[in-house]
Amino acid sequence: MAGQSDPSGSTFAAAELEFLAEDETVEIVPNMRMDTLDFICGQYEKLTQILEAERDSLDLFQPLPFHYVEISRLLFDHARDDIPDVYLVRSLIEDIKDVRFHKIGTGMEKLAGRASAIVLKHISAMEVNIVRPFTARALETFYKLDSPEMLPDSERGAVKHSQVADHGQRRPLRPNR
Amino acid sequence: MAKYYDIDDILAEDELVPAIFKVAANEVGLIDSSDDTNKVESGSKVELPFWLASELHLRQAVSVGFPRCFNKRTQEEIKADAAHVDLRNRCPYFYELGCKIVLLTGDKSIGPVLLVAFMTRYKEVLIKAHTTSLTVAPKSLTLLTNEEAKLYEAARSSTAAVKKWRMGGPRLKKASVLGRKRKPVE
Repeated sequence: MAGQSDPSGSTFAAAELEFLAEDETVEIVPNMRMDTLDFICGQYEKLTQILEAERDSLDLFQPLPFHYVEISRLLFDHARDDIPDVYLVRSLIEDIKDVRFHKIGTGMEKLAGRASAIVLKHISAMEVNIVRPFTARALETFYKLDSPEMLPDSERGAVKHSQVADHGQRRPLRPNR
Repeated sequence: MAKYYDIDDILAEDELVPAIFKVAANEVGLIDSSDDTNKVESGSKVELPFWLASELHLRQAVSVGFPRCFNKRTQEEIKADAAHVDLRNRCPYFYELGCKIVLLTGDKSIGPVLLVAFMTRYKEVLIKAHTTSLTVAPKSLTLLTNEEAKLYEAARSSTAAVKKWRMGGPRLKKASVLGRKRKPVE
């Protein structure tokens, strides 16, 4: 499955992702009096905890719904009257998103050399979609420049850490996990 | 000839590389225009586009060297501060051409330079592409080689696309066909 908007068919446009996200089940609350709202990640109070956890750990992403960016936007668009403290909720999600994106950025700065896979646990669809074109291109170039045909034997391993076999290595986004 | 339809690959092969003729060649005076004899002496130094040099190299007619953009001075500059070297001015296809020459000649001496240069400059591109405002192109963009500029563009356009999606705009568009009235059937 690939996006239709991109001529090479390799990436999704944001709107396409949103469309896919609409398949996800969300918990809804009957239209009556209620104390807490069941939001995407359960109770609404949890969002602050997630933000805290997101800020505390530099290495890990919190497990959020795969389409949390898209779903939260759709909910804000269509159900804003049903969400108590909509501005607070919205800014919390914005903050969570910013923290996570910053984490992705700092993780990608660590990228160097040949890698066959990058491990990004709990990353969401929108987040991975944003960095996909850039990362794919960068990895391609790294793969080419860091190949055994390009480096003299003496230099191999000197530029970066030791290398497993020719097919590169799996690399966590944050190597110092 | 790995990427036959890739325009950048074709343009990268058009860069000039220094070559030394190992044999004398007749009727190709235009390559070495220093005299009117219409021939190239063995041992004369000429600059050829890579696509020609590589073919001649495979036929043992010339030996190919590294062009000026890989000289000692550039290497020193890259070691000192890779992020601010104007590679675009020296060779817009720095990495592509470097790879091609290494693979052709087997001389791997510039391999580490390429890798270190890209490692350092990649970070710069990464930071700039995701932080600078979308309307103003940063000045450092003019230092990037063609490959790096494409990388920057890839990151910038995907960030811009998401921004656009978040701002909203027309969500559902009517297909142009639907607006038309159907003609009554006679």
